[in-house]
Amino acid sequence: MSIERRLIAREIRLLLSRPGDVVKPMWFLMLVISMVPMALAPDSDLLSEIGSAMIWVATLLALLLNTDHLFRDDFNDGVLEQWLFFDRPLAWLVALKLVTHWLFYVVPLILITPVAGLMLSITGNVLGALLVTLMVATPALTCFTALGAALTLGSSRSGMLGVLVMMPLFVPVVILAAGVLIRATDGSEVLPLLALLGAFSVASACLVPLAVAAALRLNIGGSS
Amino acid sequence: MQNKPSAFEFQGLTCERDDRLLFKNLSRVLEPGALLRVAGPNGAGKTTLLRILSGLYEADSGTITMAGDPVSESRHRILYLGHKPQVARDLSVFDNLQFLTGLGFDPLQSALKAVGLQHYHDSLVRELSQGQGRRCALARLWCSDASLWILDEPYTALDVHMVQVLDQRINAHVSQGGICIFTTHQPPHDLSFDTLELGRVH
Repeated sequence: MSIERRLIAREIRLLLSRPGDVVKPMWFLMLVISMVPMALAPDSDLLSEIGSAMIWVATLLALLLNTDHLFRDDFNDGVLEQWLFFDRPLAWLVALKLVTHWLFYVVPLILITPVAGLMLSITGNVLGALLVTLMVATPALTCFTALGAALTLGSSRSGMLGVLVMMPLFVPVVILAAGVLIRATDGSEVLPLLALLGAFSVASACLVPLAVAAALRLNIGGSS
Repeated sequence: MQNKPSAFEFQGLTCERDDRLLFKNLSRVLEPGALLRVAGPNGAGKTTLLRILSGLYEADSGTITMAGDPVSESRHRILYLGHKPQVARDLSVFDNLQFLTGLGFDPLQSALKAVGLQHYHDSLVRELSQGQGRRCALARLWCSDASLWILDEPYTALDVHMVQVLDQRINAHVSQGGICIFTTHQPPHDLSFDTLELGRVH
C-alpha cells in the first residue's frame, strides 16, 4: 500500500475515533447564527443584508476550532518525526494531510451553511455566492491555519497564538470574499473577484505546504 | 528483505545546545554488522546525538554519510525509535503499524507475535500498558527492511523476557549485516558492542 493511501486511511480512522471534532465546528456555527436574530432586531431585511457576512465570519472562526489538533497529537506522540523517514518529501505529505483535513473537516461545515443561511433569510444568488466563496476560499484559510499550528508546535497551549500569527493572512481572503458577496447582493459581475480569490487559494495550496514542512522540521529538530 | 548492507559514517560532529558544548569532533565508521552503544550520564547529549545521526536535527558541524551518500538522502533506510511512543494513542495497534510500515496483515501479525501482542492487534494504543505500548513500537523491528537502526532507550519499560527477545532481534539484525546504534543505562548482557562515551568534553 502506498504511503499516500496509508496517510489518507489513517486520517479517516482518526476522524472516526473522534467524530466530535467534525460536529463541534458545525455546532458552533449554528449556535452563533441562531443567536444573531435574537441579538439584533428580527427584521428580515436587515438580517439578509448582513447575514452572509455573519455566516462567513462565523465559519472562519469555526474553522479555527480544530486547528490545534492538526499536528499536535502526532507531534506529542512522536508519529510526526516518523514522517521524516518516509520516502517522500515532507511537504507532499503535509499537502495530502491538508487536503484530507479540508475534505473531512471543512467541507461538511460548508455544506451546512445553507441551513444557517435560511435562518437569516438569505436565499437565491447570495446563498449561492456564499457557498461558492466558502468553497473557493477555505483551502487558503486551511493552509494558513496549518502554518500557524505548525509554527507554534514547540510551545505548549499555543492554540490561539497560531491563529494570531496568521490573522494578517486571513485579511485579503476575507476582503475578497466580502467583495464577492457585496457584488452578488447588488447583482453585478462576481467572476473577476472570485477568480482572484481562487488564484489566492491555488497559490497558497501550492506554496504553504512547503512552509508548513519547514516549520514542522524546525520543531521536530528542536524537541527531544 | 534487508537492504544491501552498507557502511554508516560520521565525521567531526560537534553540537552545542543552549550555549553548552555537548560533544566535539565525534567520528566513527560503522561497518555492516556494527553494534554501537552510546553511553553517558543524563544530559550528556545521547538523544541529541541519535537525532542528529538519524537526520532529525542538524549538527553544528560535521558530516554523516550512509554508503557514501548524505544521511538526508537515505532516511528511508533508517529505522529510528525515540523516547516518544511513536504510535498514535487513538488508533489500534494494527492500524498504527500498518501506517508506519505499509505491510499487510500476515507480516504484521507475525511481528506482533514476536513481541507478544498478537492478541492485541485490534486494541487501541491508549488501552495498553506502557510496556505494551513500547512493545507495539518495537514490533517494527520485526518487519522493517531498514539497514540502520537507531534506538533511543529501547529497553525502557520492558520486562526481563522482552529484554531478551529484543537482544536476540538486535543480534540477528547485526549478524545479517545491519547496523544498530542504541542508548541504554543498563548494558545488555547478551550483546557484544562498541561503546561511544559522551560527556567528557567539559
